Amino acid sequence: MSRLLRVELRRLWARQITRWACVGVLALAAISGLAVYLSAPPPSAQEVANAQEMFAADQEAWETDGEQQVASCEADAEAEGRTPEEWGCDQMAPRLEYYLPPTQTFVPDATQQELMFGAEEVDADDDATAAAVEEIRGSVWNGWAGLASLDDVAVLLVLVALVVGVSFVTAEINSGSLGMWLTFEPRRQRVYWAKAAAAALGTVPLVLVGFALLVAASYAVYASFGTLGGLTGAVWLEVAAFTGRLVAAGAALAAVGVALGVLFKHAAAAVGVVGVVAWGSLVFGFGLGELQRWLPTTALTAWLQGGSVFSTERCTPSADGVFECLPVDHVVTTTQGGLTLLAVTAVLTLLAALVFRRRDVS
Amino acid sequence: MSVPGGGDLAIETRGLRKTYRSARGRSVGVEGLDLQVPVGGVHGFLGPNGSGKTTTIRMLLGLVRPDRGTATIFGHEVPRRLPEVVGRVGAIVESPKFFPAFSARRNLRLLADAIGAPTGRVDAVIDEVGLTGRSKDRYKGYSLGMKQRLAIAATLLKDPDLLIFDEPTNGLDPAGIREIRQTMRGLADQGKTVLVSSHILAEVEQIADTVSIVARGRLVAAGRVADLVGAGSAARSVRLRVAAPDLTIATSVLETGGLLVRREHDALVVDGAADAAQVNRALGERGVWVHELTPLQADLESVFLGLTAHETPGGHTHKGGRTKRGGPPPEPAHAAAQAPISEGEA
Ligand SMILES: Nc1ncnc2c1ncn2[C@@H]1O[C@H](COP(=O)(O)OP(=O)(O)OP(=O)(O)O)[C@@H](O)[C@H]1O
Ligand SMILES: [Mg+2]
Repeated sequence: MSRLLRVELRRLWARQITRWACVGVLALAAISGLAVYLSAPPPSAQEVANAQEMFAADQEAWETDGEQQVASCEADAEAEGRTPEEWGCDQMAPRLEYYLPPTQTFVPDATQQELMFGAEEVDADDDATAAAVEEIRGSVWNGWAGLASLDDVAVLLVLVALVVGVSFVTAEINSGSLGMWLTFEPRRQRVYWAKAAAAALGTVPLVLVGFALLVAASYAVYASFGTLGGLTGAVWLEVAAFTGRLVAAGAALAAVGVALGVLFKHAAAAVGVVGVVAWGSLVFGFGLGELQRWLPTTALTAWLQGGSVFSTERCTPSADGVFECLPVDHVVTTTQGGLTLLAVTAVLTLLAALVFRRRDVS
Repeated sequence: MSVPGGGDLAIETRGLRKTYRSARGRSVGVEGLDLQVPVGGVHGFLGPNGSGKTTTIRMLLGLVRPDRGTATIFGHEVPRRLPEVVGRVGAIVESPKFFPAFSARRNLRLLADAIGAPTGRVDAVIDEVGLTGRSKDRYKGYSLGMKQRLAIAATLLKDPDLLIFDEPTNGLDPAGIREIRQTMRGLADQGKTVLVSSHILAEVEQIADTVSIVARGRLVAAGRVADLVGAGSAARSVRLRVAAPDLTIATSVLETGGLLVRREHDALVVDGAADAAQVNRALGERGVWVHELTPLQADLESVFLGLTAHETPGGHTHKGGRTKRGGPPPEPAHAAAQAPISEGEA
């Protein structure tokens, strides 16, 4: 590690904003834990007893006239020219899950989700895409409650890294201490790279510890409720992989923060630009059609969650001359998202390094 | 380090030019400056506000890119070879600038670590400028004088051979000004070269060995202080007071004696006398008794004002043709003073 990088790292960690960021991350973990505690308690014994009672009553009725109900269902299906399966005649027996109130679990439960929201339709053009869409939607990060609600909070962590990166350089530019710094180390390229690397490396512990705390808080609450769900080794592996991707994204965004800070010189301007781009992507993204693939927000989601699905509309004239529009699903893979992020980071960093090398410092 | 065409020079610039782009066109910061600062001693870098002193210093330190011209520090071309020589240069540009939320000590430690100076050096320089008791306080709570002293401490971290101070006494009280002057003199006496810029001549006159005077981004005079003052004081002047009724007699007596006399409020200023005694004698012989007699030292101030009076600060020059690089400065009042100065290291 070069001397300059070490000094910059020390400065980063001595800064007030970095310390405040740590406090903020702690608060975030605490609040998120509290929110889980308040919103995800398992059904009470009374609720379960009620549900069991109702289930028992229906079960009794089913035993007497169940066969008859199935027969009439099959007859209806046949009249409509459908198979009994399509009509759902094989699903008519009462099941206890239908009666119990939905339970949030640490590892999101696909059945629970389907019960709550119904199955999401896949509108893909080919089987490979359809399979990818299914897989992404089935990931723990896209479910309901538990781990799946942590990924949104995790995005806040990488935004904190970005802000820390922005302010790391704008404070130096605006206080004028950059001029003093350059009289000690006039090699501008080195100075820039040391700053970018310090921001990228220096925010790693923040993001890492922050996310670990989020997971730990959530885990503790669900464990105390006894609603961890299907917590297998594979799930922990996925959590570890997510953490790795999150840390990488945090480092990249901190470097982006340094680049924007150097380019815009003022923290408010740099953060404002990021805000406008993110807001614009979320609000007007759909209107971009296929181009949504390249939006930074899509890329970040895809990179973090192991792929992202976006949809476009395809309109075709129907027989009576009216346009009919159908959604079409598209997939951005983890790698594609990561590469887009990397490209954005690299371009902004090179641009800023170039500007920094030539700019007059006052 | 020997420099072609001169003795040992700490700083040399040739035809240095810098323009700033603005909404109203280009404004000139420095217009073809030829500066020579000998090794050793205090060199005053003088000029009115906006004459390009700070811009020149920024170019020397690689903070600002010159449009044209060359500059060397200890014979190293800057900014290209600045990294080789920057360790020998300590500089304060304009006002002291540090991280406001960090303590003085932390600010200096960061700088010391950047150049690999030992930690002990930080305490040593803090002690040297008398800030030991306050070194753990935040910089933003410092008074202006303390900030200046901290900035000087920072420049000393490298134990430099050349110190560049840009208006180091700005905003200081008389005691502070004196202290900084003594510091600069002390550094020069240790054999270091000190370049100090100022728009107030009196401030530099007492400690400078040599000076360069700039106006509108150009050199208008340079040389030893004694030479510049000498050039401006070929004729001695004295100011005298006599009783009010004697004013007319005194005037006529002195004028008959071939001296130039003018009224200044209730006093008379006499030019062209060999010395004060000559004036006193002439008046005494005619029974006019002098209350007060002051020889007027032709100081650098009058030389400076004479050279720069017609210069408007802020040199916006899109009008008027550019002078060619190396061309004569506007009305070189003291061409004799332009001779390059060289002085051995003390
Ligand atoms: N960053 C800048 N942008 C535009 N013009 C500038 C800039 N810096 C300096 N100038 C202009 O360059 C000229 C020289 O300024 P400079 O600060 O070098 O003068 P100075 O001799 O240091 O003055 P002072 O005694 O007031 O400090 C001025 O006309 C000034 O307006
Ligand atoms: Mg200045």
